[in-house]
Amino acid sequence: MDFSHKLLFDERLYDAQVLQKAAYRSINVLTVDITSDGKQFVCALSSNIGMDEQSFLSAVQEFKKDALDYQLRHRLAVETQPIKNLILGLAFSKTGLISE
Amino acid sequence: MSKFQKLEFYAQQRPYELLPFKFDRLNDNEYVITNMAGEFHVIPVPMLESIISKTLPLTSELIPTLRSKQFIRFTNEQAPLQLLALKIRTRLSRLAEFTNLHIFVVTLRCDHSCPYCQVSRQSESKGEFDMTTEMADKSLDFVFMSPNPAIKIEFQGGEPLLNFEMVRYVVLKAKKRNVKEGRDLQFVIATTLSLLNDDVLDFCKQHNIVLSSSLDGPMDLHNANRPRPGRDSHQRFEEGLKKARAALGYDQVSALMTTTDKSLPRARDIIDEYLRLGFDGIFLRTLSPYGFAIKTKKFMSYDTERWLEFYKEGLEYIIDLNKSGIRFVEQYSSLVLTKMLTSEDPGFVDLMNPAGAGIAAIVFNYDGSVYASDESRMLAEMGDQTFRLGNILEHSYEEIILSDQLLDALENSFTLSAPMCSDCAFEPYCGAEPVYHHAIYKDVVARKPESSFCKRNMAIFKHLIELMESDEQIKRIFMGWANRC
Repeated sequence: MDFSHKLLFDERLYDAQVLQKAAYRSINVLTVDITSDGKQFVCALSSNIGMDEQSFLSAVQEFKKDALDYQLRHRLAVETQPIKNLILGLAFSKTGLISE
Repeated sequence: MSKFQKLEFYAQQRPYELLPFKFDRLNDNEYVITNMAGEFHVIPVPMLESIISKTLPLTSELIPTLRSKQFIRFTNEQAPLQLLALKIRTRLSRLAEFTNLHIFVVTLRCDHSCPYCQVSRQSESKGEFDMTTEMADKSLDFVFMSPNPAIKIEFQGGEPLLNFEMVRYVVLKAKKRNVKEGRDLQFVIATTLSLLNDDVLDFCKQHNIVLSSSLDGPMDLHNANRPRPGRDSHQRFEEGLKKARAALGYDQVSALMTTTDKSLPRARDIIDEYLRLGFDGIFLRTLSPYGFAIKTKKFMSYDTERWLEFYKEGLEYIIDLNKSGIRFVEQYSSLVLTKMLTSEDPGFVDLMNPAGAGIAAIVFNYDGSVYASDESRMLAEMGDQTFRLGNILEHSYEEIILSDQLLDALENSFTLSAPMCSDCAFEPYCGAEPVYHHAIYKDVVARKPESSFCKRNMAIFKHLIELMESDEQIKRIFMGWANRC
């Protein structure tokens, strides 16, 4: 038996990439069709073939948590990207691997 | 009048800045956060949003820890950036040294017929499965092209003692060349010890050759896993071990175990056998999906969940041993803990990123083929030549090391750009493992949520962190494992 569930995410609060990443993380249990109605992302979740209901419901819950986590990761990554590049620049300068 | 300002004078007035870090849920109540160099800290779930929103009060007890582990910094502080850069350089320093481990498959012949054999061994009489001197010479040319100041040559099979003349040839030739080269040259023979004799031991002693062997557990389990004519594999191992230790030194012989379905209910028995035979550690290994392990369906005989139960039971027992004063190490955990608790990378090929294939270890096969790793040649014995980098008689060092087969695998599996891995808090402890993922999923990256490698390692990382967080004594034991001399 197949199971399905629909979730709505406000576009002012979530990025599409964030939902895609959360969907990818759930790929072993369910698939997600992501569409937009202009204000909200609509995520249609469907269980993989042979998945039982309990596993699917747990995965739906995980998907919601993952969406929040990935949104927070996105915020952190955007804010720290310049300093990350600086640290990597410091780490890989003067390696001596390329003759000057 | 006091010469010193009051404490309040030094109190930070401005909010902190975030440094790059990753996080993942450890359980329902806690997150693990890891910095760019892999140092970790565990925080309660509600704390994460506060840290990232910078609403955590500067008086919070967490602030000094977050600063000292470079998750945050105060405005204009330069030291955290320099420290992170230094730690990252230290962690990746092995890359600049390039290939260390060079595996010579001197024969595919073997006196054992293990159903889980990952290299698809041949019977003892088939001489066409032996390496020739011409191949050995060319392979040594290749070995000394590596810029690494430390070179390890490991002889594998089949059973390398069935072609001991080739082992002798390579060792003598390599040592002769090394007079000029001046490398730190080490030799290892991977052997079941079943064919060990005084002649072999004399040669090993003379040239400081270390023996790496296999022990699957108590006699009944070992002999069931590792059949040979006479059903005496364990007896021969034990006799060989005594002789080798007496001749070469107690610590010059190590052993590896492989977990079969028969091993799963016997974690304690296996560890007890290692203790009885005087080993100071054990490597709790899964079956690799190669060779006869696939053909005989041994690989499918248990799943990741069941192996994790086995691992956790074994680890719990080992921790109890350590608590009672018996120093004994679980070696896979020790490798992971070294990555978690120090800035060193132990250089274990499975847990390297970029993958260790080719650039940490390389294999010269008995037929002249060069492979990116031991697993790659195992795969080739099953007819899959994806990671065959060339032929030692036909191709140059540059052609092999710069081959598309190698570079594509390294680049495409790089975890910092792989889906899911790039955001994973445990990425600094994990590895790319393109060969494993190709073997199982026909894709060097694979879908990580479906990967048993990901599932197994993620569970191990979380388990080790939870153990350290729950018990200070375990943390001290693990610190000892991570900082072994």
